[in-house]
Amino acid sequence: MIYRIEVTPHVPTFIDGDGEYILSEILGLGIQTIKKVRVVKIFKLEGNLSKIELQTIIDEVLVESFWQDYAVHTSVLPSKNAQTVEIARKPGVMDTEIESLLKAISDLGIKEIKMAGTGKKYIFTGKLSPKQLTFITEKILMNKIVDRVVTKKEKTLIVGSKRTPTQTIQIRAMNNEDLMKLSHDKLWLNSEEMREIQGYFKKERRDPTDVEVEILAQTWSEHCCHKTFNAELIIDGVKKSSLMSRLKKATKILDKKWCLSVFKDNAGVIELDRDFGISGKVETHNSPSAIEPYGGAMTGSGGVFRDIMGCGLGSKVIMSTDMFCVGVPDLKAEDVPDGCIHPKKLLKEVVRGVRDYGNRMGIPTNNGSVHFHKDYRAKPSIIVGAYGIIPKKQVNKKALRAGDAVITIGGKTGRDGIHGVTFASGSMTANTENTSSSAVQIGNAIEEKRMFDAILVCRDKGLLRFAQDCGGGGYSSAIGEIAEKIGVDIHLDRIPLKYPGLASWEIWISESQERMVIVVAPKDIDQVIQICKNFNVDARVLGEITNTKRLKLFYKDKLECDLEMNFLHDGCPITEKNGTYVPNLFEEPLFAEPKNYNFILKKLLASWDVCSKEPIVRQYDHEVQGTSVLKPFTGPDADVPNDAAVIAPHLGKKTGMAVSHGMFPVFNRIDPYWGAAGAIDEAVRNMVAVGVNPSKIALIDNFIWPTPEERELGDLDRAVDACVDMSLTLKMPFVSGKDSLSSTYNAADGTVIKIPPTLCISAFAPVKNVDHTISADFKGVGNAIYIIGKTKPELGGSAYYALKNKVGNSVPHYDAIKTLKNYKKIYQAIQKKLIISAHDCSEGGIAVALTEMCFGNVSARIDTARIPYEGEMRPDQLLFSESHGRIIVEVPKGFVKEFEKHMESVDCSAIGTVTKESMVRISYKNIKLIESSVIELKRAWKKPMKEVFS
Amino acid sequence: MKPKIAILRTDGTNCDEELFYAFEKAGGSSEMVHVNQLIHKEKDLKNYQILSLPGGFSYGDDILSGKILANELRHRLKSQLDAFIAEKKLMIGICNGFQTLVRMGYLPWNMKPAEEVSLIFNDSGHFECRWIKVRVAHSKCVFSRGLENKIFDMPVAHGEGKFVVKNKAVGQKIIDNNHTVFQYVDDGGKITMKYPENPNGSFHSIAGVTDESGHILGIMPHPERNTLKHHHPNWRSQSVRLCNSIFENAITYFK
Repeated sequence: MIYRIEVTPHVPTFIDGDGEYILSEILGLGIQTIKKVRVVKIFKLEGNLSKIELQTIIDEVLVESFWQDYAVHTSVLPSKNAQTVEIARKPGVMDTEIESLLKAISDLGIKEIKMAGTGKKYIFTGKLSPKQLTFITEKILMNKIVDRVVTKKEKTLIVGSKRTPTQTIQIRAMNNEDLMKLSHDKLWLNSEEMREIQGYFKKERRDPTDVEVEILAQTWSEHCCHKTFNAELIIDGVKKSSLMSRLKKATKILDKKWCLSVFKDNAGVIELDRDFGISGKVETHNSPSAIEPYGGAMTGSGGVFRDIMGCGLGSKVIMSTDMFCVGVPDLKAEDVPDGCIHPKKLLKEVVRGVRDYGNRMGIPTNNGSVHFHKDYRAKPSIIVGAYGIIPKKQVNKKALRAGDAVITIGGKTGRDGIHGVTFASGSMTANTENTSSSAVQIGNAIEEKRMFDAILVCRDKGLLRFAQDCGGGGYSSAIGEIAEKIGVDIHLDRIPLKYPGLASWEIWISESQERMVIVVAPKDIDQVIQICKNFNVDARVLGEITNTKRLKLFYKDKLECDLEMNFLHDGCPITEKNGTYVPNLFEEPLFAEPKNYNFILKKLLASWDVCSKEPIVRQYDHEVQGTSVLKPFTGPDADVPNDAAVIAPHLGKKTGMAVSHGMFPVFNRIDPYWGAAGAIDEAVRNMVAVGVNPSKIALIDNFIWPTPEERELGDLDRAVDACVDMSLTLKMPFVSGKDSLSSTYNAADGTVIKIPPTLCISAFAPVKNVDHTISADFKGVGNAIYIIGKTKPELGGSAYYALKNKVGNSVPHYDAIKTLKNYKKIYQAIQKKLIISAHDCSEGGIAVALTEMCFGNVSARIDTARIPYEGEMRPDQLLFSESHGRIIVEVPKGFVKEFEKHMESVDCSAIGTVTKESMVRISYKNIKLIESSVIELKRAWKKPMKEVFS
Repeated sequence: MKPKIAILRTDGTNCDEELFYAFEKAGGSSEMVHVNQLIHKEKDLKNYQILSLPGGFSYGDDILSGKILANELRHRLKSQLDAFIAEKKLMIGICNGFQTLVRMGYLPWNMKPAEEVSLIFNDSGHFECRWIKVRVAHSKCVFSRGLENKIFDMPVAHGEGKFVVKNKAVGQKIIDNNHTVFQYVDDGGKITMKYPENPNGSFHSIAGVTDESGHILGIMPHPERNTLKHHHPNWRSQSVRLCNSIFENAITYFK
């Protein structure tokens, strides 16, 4: 039988926090008739228990009776005159509590429980129409993708079905129409690719199994083989080499000795110190996050952590970053496109996902940003990065030998995440929410954590020959890549399943989370399995490496797949693609100089892109591992934002590493060349501002683009050209990168929403001695304030223009040679302690950067007329221009002369002084422009996100 | 000989390395010990002087934080643990470790799991990571010897850290018998119930408690994350009192 136990806090002595949260969310939707919400947790246990056993489980595990009430089989709270909704996970969707419940009951010595389940019951007091109740249920209480409304008692909690046997697909007899029917909504391949597959099997003189066809579709998907990035291009009629080859070539030309592994592994690796390297990888998880943001963000984090763990013979993950691009939180409900989630809800859910995964893994999340634009309202860009530390001698994977054992380690395989890569490769429609549900899943951070613990022990004992992440494409991608050059035999029936009934092709391409594949020498199998067992980690031998150069899959000894590795990995016809660059023209706005600068500054501080993101940052544990030495915020109230994160990964040593990023989606709309150059500068100047040596910086690219038609491809080509040019000029190599080119939304009514072309540049570098890193908060009254870099009339795409709902065309350009020279001088000055705080000028320009530095509760007095500039500029343009390459610095009063001498050959000018009256005072010569109290400015800056997350 | 510290690990433990380091720096000899190694008798608690339960999300904090680990320890290692306590050895639980000790019924005195006190969801309703100040109260606790009235900065990073008591009598007993070891204070050093200085709304602003013997300490904030000059957010602009003395006290106890 199924025992059902309801538990809820004893109110009013104790708070029903869940209930209060739901109530505030409902009020936020504008429904005012609800008076109270109560939330009841439900545990379900299937089996046979004695009365005493049931009571033991309740007392020891489920209920703390002095602050919780409970009931067995009945309702713990009266629901008379109230409406109730009960929600549970859909069968087979990850519910981590089930495993924990079963473990706890088994620890009690009770053996008769076969299965468990959980759920939540919501009880509403107050008036609600049935329509409102449905609305609340679907928008707040559940996500239809992973949850269900429970309307009747379950007969069993055990999940499972009959397995569909492997089938043969009569592909040789198909005409073009049949081929495309097969492709449509299942394989997502084009007609040329379908014909290529048909031709292969005609040559092999047999028809394929469904397993083989699915494998080809997965391996050849845009997501896995990056057809656009690898294609030869014709741009405006001129032949150009592929985007990928250009980026790789630039890195090769730079040939930096400190690059230990570039573009060949799951992450790029650079040198940290004599013995260790740092690995870095940044990933996107846009499609899953669009329809299930919590699970999407979680599994995005989980995936990028596994990329780091699967780098070399295993890197230990020591840091995580998150960059989100979403619609504006105050978007009107009717402007949310069909099948999409409101940006405010989406943002809160992705934050919750990153929080729950990163925090539970014990990985500090200490760098990130959020960008807002209305055109992310259908498809957000959810970017997650991770960094790891690895002994230099483990950076390279070992050459595989026939007979080596292929072992799966970590989570079990279920039907979750099937067709994830093909789904990610297609455009989103209003129907995506319904048709692609299996592509989305919830992560289990604890599974991943214990798997990492076990892998690191195996690595340190020298037992690993290869470590590979199971991500997009599942085993198909992971094992396919491992054995690409050699061959492999795998027995599908040895793969541990979450529940019975999976067909062979489902097992092979499922993207169930928290799984990795390792390869070990046959003699080490037993030791590896024992180590895993000690960490409660499942590890099974699936098969062995062969010399056949073929991928052979067996189910109970029956051969179900026999593909040539060559055809699988190199057979996909990659065609030339055509692109055209068409410049966008946005009218340059004309308006009078503002009369009230105080008002403008406050509005800028309260704009979505500029405002404080502290309510997000505080939800991430950025202190875990004890390594953080430059936090997201510093200053007496711990609220001055810093430009980059610095950690010291060896406790007690001064060696460190720094991480930052840059991105300007709106600049890309105006001109992707300068947008990309700007993103690189922002990432680099953030590093320079905290004291990083600019000659040691490595870069990572993430291109997130609307589905590339001719024009989008023209834009992309221009952005890549900028990356190559800047990389070569700055001598900063790209070491890893990723593209995700499907961020177009097609509504049923023909509306098309394309995101602004998005390029996120991440930068990482070693820091020799963390003593010589600095923060952004002003330190001492009387110190001098300088600006380095020239200000130009470049307000196109600025936050200032955005206040006036204008874009403008004067996008900031970038003189990389000159700027790099300045940055080197700044770096040296920080090393000599001539600069003790610094902050980069970005969104909102000098005015915002300076104000943020004052949030350390000291103030500044500056004269705009002393800002070095080019062209003709009004004071408002000087203050709010977003020209690149500018950093504001604080110089201790005793070191002014020495500093000026050091900066002699550089665009550098004293603009003011740190003062003590807790005011921001900005003038133009004798004219007062801004005179606002720091407290008031801070309040305006903090308010927007506080409201979103209250 | 250096006292040996067992840093207890299990699925989801994650502040083990900084705790390992804190005890080593204080002069102890730290060793990672997995719960499975104790259960399968590959390692024996007899060989350690200090048992430390680090922070993290043991078993995902499913059902309630620390609950599954507490249940496992209670039912699979109870006699080893009782013997350890009977020998007057020391135990410290930080964050998730504190939650575990409470749910085992070891703090603030012997009871059934969380029978009279518990650590529940923060009043703020969410997980929060920030630096706060705590003041050391007068107690028997070995870890805080000689530190009375001193104020320490340390980070909190938890979602379930609100210390609650069954009723007034239990609260009074905690106060009267000096079970309180650390309390949240404001910038002026005064005990506070105000958010965010008191990050969770704990009864009596309790950040840490000890048992009747003073040998067991449970604490929500992380002293092990303030043992180096570079740990504090503002090490560049102010001098900082590190938390090393808390760990040194435990080492000294065995000398």
